[in-house]
Amino acid sequence: MDSIKTEIVVVGAGPGGYAAAFYAADLGKKVILVEREKRLGGVCLNRGCIPSKALLYATHQISAARESEHRGITFEPPTVDLFKLRAWKESILERLGGGVAMLAKMRGVQVIQGRGYFEDSQTLRVETEQGQQFVRFETAILAVGSLAAMPKAFDLGNPRVMTSTEALEIEEIPENLLLVGGGYIGMEMGTVYAALGSKIVLVEALDHVLAGADPDLVRPVMANVKKAFKEIRLKAKVTKMTTAGKQIEVEMEYNGQKLTELYDRVLVAVGRVPNSADIGLKNTKVALDEKGFVKVNDKQQTNDPNIYAIGDIAGGILLAHKAHKEARIAVEVINGENSVFENVIIPAVVFTDPELAWCGLTEAEARERGVKYEVSKFPWAASGRAISFDRTDGMTKMLIDPETDRVLGVGIAGTGAGELISEAVLALEMGATAKDIALTVHPHPTLSETLMECAEAFYGHATHTVSKKHE
Amino acid sequence: MDVTLPKLGEGADSGVVINVFVKEGDQIAKGQAILELENEKAVASVPATAAGIVAKIYVKPGDKISTGQRILTLSESGKPAGAPVSVEKKVTQASRLPVPVEEEDEQVSTVAPVASPSLRKLARELGIDLSRVRGSQSGGRLGTGDIQAYIAHLQKASGKAAPASGTVAAPIKQAAEQIDFSKWGPVKKKPLTPLRQVIARRMSESWSTIPRVTQFDDAEFTQLNTLRNEFAPAYEKKGVRLTLTPFIIKALVETLKKHPIFNSSLDEVANEIVFKEYFHIGIAVDTEQGLIVPVVRDADKKSMLELAKELEQLAQKARDRKVTAEEMKGGTFTISNQGAIGGAHFTPIINKPEVAILGLGRGAMKPVACDGKVEVRMMTPLALSYDHRVIDGGAAARFIVDLVGALQDFEEAVVKI
Repeated sequence: MDSIKTEIVVVGAGPGGYAAAFYAADLGKKVILVEREKRLGGVCLNRGCIPSKALLYATHQISAARESEHRGITFEPPTVDLFKLRAWKESILERLGGGVAMLAKMRGVQVIQGRGYFEDSQTLRVETEQGQQFVRFETAILAVGSLAAMPKAFDLGNPRVMTSTEALEIEEIPENLLLVGGGYIGMEMGTVYAALGSKIVLVEALDHVLAGADPDLVRPVMANVKKAFKEIRLKAKVTKMTTAGKQIEVEMEYNGQKLTELYDRVLVAVGRVPNSADIGLKNTKVALDEKGFVKVNDKQQTNDPNIYAIGDIAGGILLAHKAHKEARIAVEVINGENSVFENVIIPAVVFTDPELAWCGLTEAEARERGVKYEVSKFPWAASGRAISFDRTDGMTKMLIDPETDRVLGVGIAGTGAGELISEAVLALEMGATAKDIALTVHPHPTLSETLMECAEAFYGHATHTVSKKHE
Repeated sequence: MDVTLPKLGEGADSGVVINVFVKEGDQIAKGQAILELENEKAVASVPATAAGIVAKIYVKPGDKISTGQRILTLSESGKPAGAPVSVEKKVTQASRLPVPVEEEDEQVSTVAPVASPSLRKLARELGIDLSRVRGSQSGGRLGTGDIQAYIAHLQKASGKAAPASGTVAAPIKQAAEQIDFSKWGPVKKKPLTPLRQVIARRMSESWSTIPRVTQFDDAEFTQLNTLRNEFAPAYEKKGVRLTLTPFIIKALVETLKKHPIFNSSLDEVANEIVFKEYFHIGIAVDTEQGLIVPVVRDADKKSMLELAKELEQLAQKARDRKVTAEEMKGGTFTISNQGAIGGAHFTPIINKPEVAILGLGRGAMKPVACDGKVEVRMMTPLALSYDHRVIDGGAAARFIVDLVGALQDFEEAVVKI
C-alpha cells in the first residue's frame, strides 16, 4: 500500500485544525489536512458557533419587531417557515465551509476526507470513500475536537431528546421544551427556541446559571430569561427520562419534591466530551487525562514527541479562539520557535440577550488567587447610545489593581458585549492601566464609551455618572 | 553575632551561593561548612567563623555575595537576634535604583510580567526572564526601552566581571540546538550540578585556549613498590597509610626544580612567564559529585610522613565536599593519578593557569628488554600534558626522562622515618 509522505498532518479541520494547517503551509511546510466530514470547519462552523449565531440573529428579529410597538412601528405577528430558515442557515455554512476549502487549495494544503486513525507515531491511516490512505508524517497536530455530551441515562435513542447538534437543525418548534443545563450552550439555544415560541423550563443543578461569570453580570441576562422562559429551576436534577408516545416523560427532583412531567422535546446541554476514542491514540505515546482529554504542555506537545494537540481535544476552555491560539503556538514550536501558551487572555462570550462577555480575572478568580482589586462599574442606563435603542439593561465593569491601576479584568453585560470585549482583551494584553483607557478617545455615541467611562469612574470623574473620587 | 563571608583569597572577593548547608535553629561548630560558594576557581565550602545556634540566615542559593557580607546570625539561646530589617531593606532599595532589577522582587507578584504580547515574545526569544526586569511605564508596564536597558546592564555586568571571575552566569546563552534524544529510545534526564557546570566551563576554557601536547612514557615502579611495602608498617604505626602518591610528589618536585619552566605560568597581559619558587602540587580527587583538586602546599619542604598525612586528610575532605576555596588555590602543577582505578595512558587537560599536568595510569607487569634480555617489570604509564606556548617538545622530553629517573631511582633516605 502506497503512503503519502508529509511534514505535517493535521487531524481535524475545525477552527484549530485548519488554522494550524494554513499557518504551517504559510511557513513553507508540506501539510495534509484530514477531516472526516465533507464540509470543513468542524463543530464551530457546522454545529456550533456559526449556526447558533445565525439562528440567534434570525429569531431576534421576532422579539425586535414586537418591541418596536411603543416606538410607533408595528408589524403583523410573524410567521416562521422552518424550511426556509434552515435553508438560509445552511447557505451560510456552505459558504463558509467552501471558503475554508478554497483557502486550503490556494495554500497547497492537501485535504483528505476520511476518518483518521493512528497506526503508530508516524503513520495515520485515513479511511476515505475510495479506500484506505496511509499518511507518513514527521509531525501530527491532533485537532479532533469534542462532542456534545449525552449521559447514558438520557440516551433513549429518541430524537426528541436532543443535544445542541440536533437542536440546531430545528426540525420543529416544540410547544414544551425542557432545557437541561444552564451553561452558555443551553442558554443560547434556549434563547432561540423561546423566541420561536417554545415554552421553556430550564433545569440547572447548580444554584446559578452561566457558571464562571460574575453574578452581577449575569443579572441582566437572568432578568430577560425569566421573562422569556416559562420557568427556571435551580438546584434541580433530572433523574429519569422515558419515551411516552410523542412526548418524553421526565422525572426530576426540585425543591425537595419529585416531579413527573411531559415534554415535547428535551435539550440536553450538560457539557462536551473529547473525541479521543477510536482514533488509534493507543498506538502512540499520547497520554490522556481521566476525562479523556489529551495531556499537553504549554508548547502543545503531547507525551508523543511527534504529536501535538490543540483545541478542545487538549482540554481547558473549549472555545474556538482558544483552539486558534493553540494552533499558532503548536505550529511555531514545530517551526523551531520558542513559543508557549502563557499568560494568554482568552475572552469568553455568551450570546444570550443581552450578551455577556468577560476577559482576564473575574471577581471570584481574583478572590481565589488572593489578588487585590477594586471594582469600577458603569451602568448602561448612563449611556446615550444604550438609551437610544432601548437597551439600558447593560453594565460595563473593570477589576483594577489598586496599587498600579492596571486593568486586571473586564466584564460586560449588554447588547454587543461580544464585540466590545476585544478592546478590553487588547488592554489586558498590553498591560494597560485604567488611566490608559480613560485617556483614550472613544467615539460618540457608541457603546465603547462605556469602557472609557468605566475607567474614568475609577478616578471619580466619569462624565455621565457621579462616583466617589479615587486617587 | 554575625557570621560574614571571610576573605576567599587573592583576587576573589565574591561568589555565588550554590548550597546553604545549615538552617535556622541549627547548632553549628566553628569551622563547620555552612555554605557552598562558586567563585572563579571552583565550588568550595565556606566554614563558620564561630560556633552557636543559627538565628537567621540572610543568603539563599543563587545569591551573589562578597567578602564581609553577612551570611547568618548566631545566637547563644537560639532566639532570633533582633534582625535589623531596615538596614537590609535599604540595601535592597539602593541596589534597585538602577533601572534593571537584579535580585528577584521580594513581593512576588500575583500577576504575570506586564508587557505587550510582542515584547513578551521577543523576551522569550532572547531568553530574558521579564520578571527580573522592572517596567518604567505606567502601572509597572515594560517597554522596549526597559529591555534594552536590561540587556545593556547585563552586558556591562558580565564584561566587568569576566576578567576577575568567570562565574557570572552568561546572561544570554548562545542558542545551543536542543536535540530530542527520546526520538530514538527512552532517556532519563538529570540537571547539571553546579560543580559539574564549573568543571565543564573550566575544561572548555583550558581546551580552547591552551595548545596542548601530551608526552607519554612508562616508569618502572618495582623499586617504589618495594620501598612502600617496606615502610608502610612504620607509617601505619604513626596512623598514616602510605600510598604511592607521596613518592610521586617527591620525585616530581625534584624534577620540577631541575625544569622550572614546568612550575611556571604564562601572564598573557604582561607577556611574561612567571616562574614560581614554591611547589604547590594539586591532586585531582575523584569524588561522587565530580572532580575536585585540593592543593598540597610547599611539597618540597614537607617530609614523606607529612605529605602522606596531608593527602589522606585532603582526600577525605574532598569527598565530604569540605575543601575550602583557599585549599584549592595557588597550585603550580597538578597530578592526576588514575592508578587506583585502572587504565593506561590518557591525555590530561591542563589545570589553567598552570602549564603542565602529570597523568598516571595503572602499573602493570610488562615485558621489558634489559641488557639484551626480556624481563617482566612493573611499568606505570605516565602522560605529561604541557602548554606548548610556554614549553617546547625537547624540554618536555627532557623533563619526562628526568622524572622517570627520579621515580625509578627513588632514594630510600627520603622514605625513612
